[in-house]
Amino acid sequence: MSASAGRLPRQRAREHFKDPSRRRGLLVAFEGPDGSGKTTQRKLFKTWLQAEGYDVVSTKWNSSDLIKPLIRSRKAVRALNPEEFSLLHAADFRHRVEHVILPALWAGKLVLADRFLFTALARDAARGLDLDWVLKLYQPLVWPDLVFYFSVSPITSGKRVTATRTPNFYEAGQDVTSVDDPVESYQRFIGRVIREYDSLAMIFNFITVDAEQSITEQHRQIRELFRAGERRPWIEWNVDAVAEWLAQKKGKPR
Amino acid sequence: MSRAKGLLVAVDGVNGVSVKTAARAALAGADRARRGGVSAWDASGIFEELAVADEEEGAGTPSARTLLLLYAADLVFRLRWEIQPALAERRVVVAAPYVDTAVAFGRAAGISGGWLTNLFSFAPAPSVRHYVDAAAAKAKSDRQGYVEFCCERLPGTPQAPTRQELMDRARLQLKAVARRR
Repeated sequence: MSASAGRLPRQRAREHFKDPSRRRGLLVAFEGPDGSGKTTQRKLFKTWLQAEGYDVVSTKWNSSDLIKPLIRSRKAVRALNPEEFSLLHAADFRHRVEHVILPALWAGKLVLADRFLFTALARDAARGLDLDWVLKLYQPLVWPDLVFYFSVSPITSGKRVTATRTPNFYEAGQDVTSVDDPVESYQRFIGRVIREYDSLAMIFNFITVDAEQSITEQHRQIRELFRAGERRPWIEWNVDAVAEWLAQKKGKPR
Repeated sequence: MSRAKGLLVAVDGVNGVSVKTAARAALAGADRARRGGVSAWDASGIFEELAVADEEEGAGTPSARTLLLLYAADLVFRLRWEIQPALAERRVVVAAPYVDTAVAFGRAAGISGGWLTNLFSFAPAPSVRHYVDAAAAKAKSDRQGYVEFCCERLPGTPQAPTRQELMDRARLQLKAVARRR
């Protein structure tokens, strides 16, 4: 976006999110490998937040009405290579940013994201893609106020996931491991994904929750950490994403 | 004795019908035995499916950035299944459109050059480039190109507030790229 076109929306974005007279939208992301229990925690947390008076909007990974069907049909026939997989998920994410996440934040709501762009970074890097290339696909970045990372070992993740079902082809990473047995493939692939997550947790300063603890203990910890973190100032990095969204909104009616 | 290498010919332009015609001409100009074919946009069917999906209420209009990510996914598909296999057989393959059309659309919509360069960094440089300088089709039924498809969905951007302005701007961007090459 050119500097002159971007100036006004950037200014509006800053003023809106830094205005102390209005309740600021908050973005909280739940991240972690499959079987880490983050969805359970996200649901418990949502119930608690609503009881506390927050207006909560949830968004899940790969869930946009527009892009999800494109991904689903290609996954069903195992037609995606790592780059296509990555690009389609980035498109799904962008669409949700523009149609779910930013509108809710602008309206002062609390957005709970069950997986965020870090899922793409961990999985795509585990598939051998360049992390820098992937991160740039997601620009302009929308940075969460808080990221809870549910940390489990590859063994725990494998046990929890395979206790009730067989992992699907892409979940098991069979597109890159070339292992026929989905359970064995999952075990190998999730080890790589968790290594990437652990690195991301350090780089991006996630709040790590020991997901091997009891559900109740994790929930208690999340409430406490949320209380401590909710008064953080608005993240200036988000100004580009909000400005682009505002500019698009302005361009739409003509 | 050295054997001829495969040849990737890029044909870019905002007018889909003209790009198709130019692509066929470029392929016809190659030695018959080495003709590998034309790789057109939406070989993966992503945009055809998108056109159906975005007619459904509530799915939301895709932004320029989303449309570019989808174009890149489609291009990966074309490279995997059409372009690279033809090049491996040392054939001439015409990609119509290729990267420059999408970049021109992105620039017209106000997307930064750096983001676009990163997005398409997986695509090999073509051996030959052709540019078709024709305006986007006036009649809706003739709008068969990628830029025309995108502009049908984007009513405008802050840089180019109407569809027509957006298409004209993309054409100008592409002309500027052609001059630089």
